[in-house]
Amino acid sequence: MSECQHQWEMTNVQFGFVVFEKCFHCNDLRTYFSAEDVPILGDKYREGDHFWSRVENAQSFRFDLQCTECNYLEKFDDLMGLLHCTGCLPDCEVEILRKKYEAQRTWILVAFGFLPQAKTEPIPSHKLDILTDYFNQRRDTSRSRIKIVPFNLIEDLSLCKGDFIHDVGMLSLEPPKGRKPLF
Amino acid sequence: MTTQDLLEKIGLKPLSKFEHRDVDGVFVSDMLSDVMASAKSGNLWLTIQTHKSIVPAANLVDVSAIVITSGKEVPQETVDLASKYNIAILSSELPTFELVGKLYGLGLGTK
Repeated sequence: MSECQHQWEMTNVQFGFVVFEKCFHCNDLRTYFSAEDVPILGDKYREGDHFWSRVENAQSFRFDLQCTECNYLEKFDDLMGLLHCTGCLPDCEVEILRKKYEAQRTWILVAFGFLPQAKTEPIPSHKLDILTDYFNQRRDTSRSRIKIVPFNLIEDLSLCKGDFIHDVGMLSLEPPKGRKPLF
Repeated sequence: MTTQDLLEKIGLKPLSKFEHRDVDGVFVSDMLSDVMASAKSGNLWLTIQTHKSIVPAANLVDVSAIVITSGKEVPQETVDLASKYNIAILSSELPTFELVGKLYGLGLGTK
C-alpha cells in the first residue's frame, strides 16, 4: 500500500460537452462526453426499442488527477459531473447529509457517473475520496471544506431538481437565466 | 488586499451577505468548467454569468468573491444562495475589460 500522502493536481484536461439524451418512448436518460465542436441539439434517432433525442448539451470538461509526489494517476473518465443539491426532497439522503455537514461548514456535492452504466457500476468510493481530497487541497480548509458523495444516495432520480455545475445555453445572446429539468 | 478594500477603492456593490476575506489574484471567465479547472483559492472571479450555479462553482474552488460585471442583473435566488454559503457576490457597472484594468492598477494580477 502506498505510503505517499498524495498531493493531487488536475491533468489531461479536455473540454467538451456532456450530452443528455432522452428516449421519448420509455423516458430513459443517457449521457456521454463528446469532444465534437458543437453537438447537434434535437438530433433524433432510433436504436432498438429506444427513440433517442438530444435534450441538452452542457459545456463541461473531463480530467484525471495525478499525484505530484509519486506520479500516481487516477483516471476520472467515468465522472460525468458534480451536482449541487437544492434541497428539493427533504427525506433524500443527500439533503440529510447536506444539513448535517452544513454546521461543520462542509459543503456536499454529488458525483454523477455517466448514465445508464453508472447505475450498476457506480464510481468507486476511493475515487470520490481522492476527488474530495483534491478539492480540499485546493482551498483554505480552515474556512470550509468540500465532501463529494455518490449519486446513488439520491432517493429518486426522477424527482431530483439538483443543479449540475456545468454550462448550458452558452451560444445564446444573453447568459442563460433558467435551466431545463434533466431527470 | 481584501474584499472590503475593493468595495472602497473600486466602488463594487455588495449583493450577498458575506465575511470579508483576502483577495489573491483575479480570474476572468464565463465558463464554469474553466473556473473549476483553473481558478485558484482566493481569486476574485469576474463573470457575466448570473445563474445560481455560479455559487457552487465558486464554493468548489474557494474564490474570494464573484464580481458580476457590465451591470448584469443578478437573480435574487443566486444572491440568496450565495448568502447562505457566505460567498461574496459583488456587482460592477463596468465592462469586464475596464474592471480588469482597474484591478491590475491596484496591483492584483494572476496568482
